[in-house]
Amino acid sequence: MSLTSDLERLLGPGRVRHHPLDVAVFAKDAGVVPGSVLAAVLPETTQEVAAIVRLANRHEVPIVPRGAGTGLAGGAVPTEPGLLVVLTRFTSIEDVDTVGRTAWVGPGVINLDLSRALTGEGLHFAPDPSSQSACTIGGNVGTNAGGPHCLADGTTVAHIYAAELVTPSGDVVVVGGEAPDTPGLDLRAVVVGSEGTLGIVTRVLVRLMQSPPDVATLLIGFPSVESAAATVSDVIASGLIPAALEMMDKRMVAAVENFVHAGYPTDAAAVLLAEVTGPTSTVLADTERIADIAREHGADDVRIATDDDERALLWKGRKSAFGAVAQAAPDYYLHDTVVPRTRLVEVMNQIYEIGDRYGLMMLNVFHAGDGNLHPLVAFDAKEPGMLERVQAAAKEMVKASIEVGGSLSGEHGIGFEKRDLMPLVFSAVDLDAQARVKEAFDPLGLMNPDKVLPSGSRCFDAAGVRL
Amino acid sequence: MAWITEHPPRTVDLDSCVTCGLCLPMCPTFRLTGDETASPRGRLAAITAVADGRLTVDERFDEITSFCLQCRACETACPSMLPYGEVIESARAEAVAQVPHPDQRLRRFALGRALAGPVTMRVATLGAAAMQRIGALEALPVVGGATAGLRPLPVPLPSARGGAWGPRDADRVTLFTGCVADTWFTGIHTATVEVLLAAGYRVEAPEDQTCCGALASHSGFGDDAARMARSNIASLTGDDPIVVNVAGCGAHLKAYGRYGDDGGDLAARTKDVTEIVAEAIESGRLPMMSPAGERVAVQDPCHLEHGQRISREPRILLEAAGYEVVEADPGGLCCGAAGLYQVDHPDTAEELGREKADKVAATGTTLVASANAGCEMQLRRYLDDGYEVLHPVEIYARALRRGGTGPAPSP
Repeated sequence: MSLTSDLERLLGPGRVRHHPLDVAVFAKDAGVVPGSVLAAVLPETTQEVAAIVRLANRHEVPIVPRGAGTGLAGGAVPTEPGLLVVLTRFTSIEDVDTVGRTAWVGPGVINLDLSRALTGEGLHFAPDPSSQSACTIGGNVGTNAGGPHCLADGTTVAHIYAAELVTPSGDVVVVGGEAPDTPGLDLRAVVVGSEGTLGIVTRVLVRLMQSPPDVATLLIGFPSVESAAATVSDVIASGLIPAALEMMDKRMVAAVENFVHAGYPTDAAAVLLAEVTGPTSTVLADTERIADIAREHGADDVRIATDDDERALLWKGRKSAFGAVAQAAPDYYLHDTVVPRTRLVEVMNQIYEIGDRYGLMMLNVFHAGDGNLHPLVAFDAKEPGMLERVQAAAKEMVKASIEVGGSLSGEHGIGFEKRDLMPLVFSAVDLDAQARVKEAFDPLGLMNPDKVLPSGSRCFDAAGVRL
Repeated sequence: MAWITEHPPRTVDLDSCVTCGLCLPMCPTFRLTGDETASPRGRLAAITAVADGRLTVDERFDEITSFCLQCRACETACPSMLPYGEVIESARAEAVAQVPHPDQRLRRFALGRALAGPVTMRVATLGAAAMQRIGALEALPVVGGATAGLRPLPVPLPSARGGAWGPRDADRVTLFTGCVADTWFTGIHTATVEVLLAAGYRVEAPEDQTCCGALASHSGFGDDAARMARSNIASLTGDDPIVVNVAGCGAHLKAYGRYGDDGGDLAARTKDVTEIVAEAIESGRLPMMSPAGERVAVQDPCHLEHGQRISREPRILLEAAGYEVVEADPGGLCCGAAGLYQVDHPDTAEELGREKADKVAATGTTLVASANAGCEMQLRRYLDDGYEVLHPVEIYARALRRGGTGPAPSP
């Protein structure tokens, strides 16, 4: 029996997709490189996921979990012929505890749907990636996703108390627990951000945050990238922690404004989108403070969104930024490096310089508040040699970030596309340690293989060297 | 060869998808199934695989593309502004041309010929009216269920075609009469003319205009749709605004640019009736009725909200008619009517129809405004008795008739 016929017997033919067209459709996520899919399955229960994992093990076929496929690093793409386990049907929101502020939710729940479902309770799920209208909680857990509002609230790992996990051998375990601190090793923190390499998460206990009583959003245009970056530094240095602090460069603003028509200042060299939350008096004071700092740095255009519709429109612009790039070119390669805030301008200038040298079109949009850069290369992958050029430039840009004390990825994950850049950040010993964790969970190496860790991460062991 | 029709999906459009996935949550079929092959991004990937020559148009291609409702909600979410509606129509034409379908000839006759012919439409309508009177219409196989939401068909058959109303020296507008709209939804035309006359317009409805071709185009009969479009372009000449009161027709007329420059001119003149009436209300040429404390639930037809990006105007009409407007399902999914969709995918159409009807019912109001004939039928079909579903212009006309004393009690 083939794996697909075994799967069809388990799930019925309607939930197993393996026609050549289906396989082509599932071959890619929101990253650049397509993978190789044997079949995609749509389970509906944890038991089905466990049975699927055991079947795949028996056939020695790699498994790749997938949510909405909005990931930007190829994390949900099988690098060798593999089985996609699609978790979009896990959409339950259960046991909502409005006092303890928790809920058990399925990995297929769309991020924004979770917050919308809780609006009436005055609660929300804090991590808000740009793709939050489409991405799933499972994907957020996999990549330890961030988002504009993680500046104040922290990334996904700070918002997951427990996770139900189907292990690579097909067992079901729960890591973490309902109590905020569980004894023993914190496997919850190991699983969150492991990009589906340690198992398949089928349910999570999320932490819910109280929605702020008042919100103000500022849109500020600057005459230079430097003045915008200096404003970011000074805002944080002044002791304020805005809910969000986002920057876009001129090209990005042009693409975004063309789509949303939100009144972004297209003549500014850089635009800052800032949000403050809290009691009304605090919001008013903080808004004024940020506006003052911006004006001191030469900002001539400070707009404060007055109502929810206007705020929503401004955020829609920011959160559509990546897709809007298609107006410039059919493909884009997106970085996710993090640099110390004080080095923002220096690294940005280096990135523009690298782009120019390779003859590439660069656009910039990023979480300025925590130094998380998203330089974006717009290109046409159909041009011969282009993808290689983009990747070479990418490597230089990542190096530039790491040289000033930064990191490879803030929130998008490493996946496949950034995997080979890992040695820029980690020593062979570091990588070996991570590979040992992976091996402890997944001795057969069939759970989302080839992701996060470059091949040869366990080289010390192979060479018989012990440190 | 991968594509065989004259106007296959354009590479430049397919290329503009960066696979970001922001369209997914807007898509009704993706929402129901969680299946990438039932999403706009997935369908584009399938079409691209054929365009690139990696795969061919086969039965699975037919299934994947025909499962799409063509509601175009994905276009509203798309930051690269990909014209998905046109792409999927071209893909459907390829599927229809390459994959045999048992009732293809009957469909092509119905959508490509019968809708365009005044005689065939009258014969069919008289037959339908007779059957409706003895209760046999709903018992028809395949299409019977959908007719449950029809208004009572009038006999003798009315037609606005060839009509002209109002003073000759007034500003002129052209009324687009449509195919089924002309006889089956005659009350909407009556209200449209009434309100436009009150706004000081002269209304003319050229005799030789025909079906807009939307249904043929959505169903993959692109050649027939093009023939109807050319006929309309030849008939609806001049510079006057063309007023349309069926959202699906309006969205299609506004896409006539694909048929050349003169098609583009016609598209630029096309206005939904709510646009032109809202403008008249805002400029004071039509009155605002005083509120009477009654409520109306508003439903946003996809081809108005997404196809034409119109959502403010219907609400202006309803508020001006003296009603408090209640949102039925803001940002919601397609109601599942979607032209002939309910014939091919009755289960999905019903699931979406019931969902929409439940949301309308949850508003607690029994008067419902919908600016598209297909949605109107779908709502009436799945709502209990006791609901009144009307076009916003009918609601405004009724209030106008009562002379600004606020809305009348629902019958």
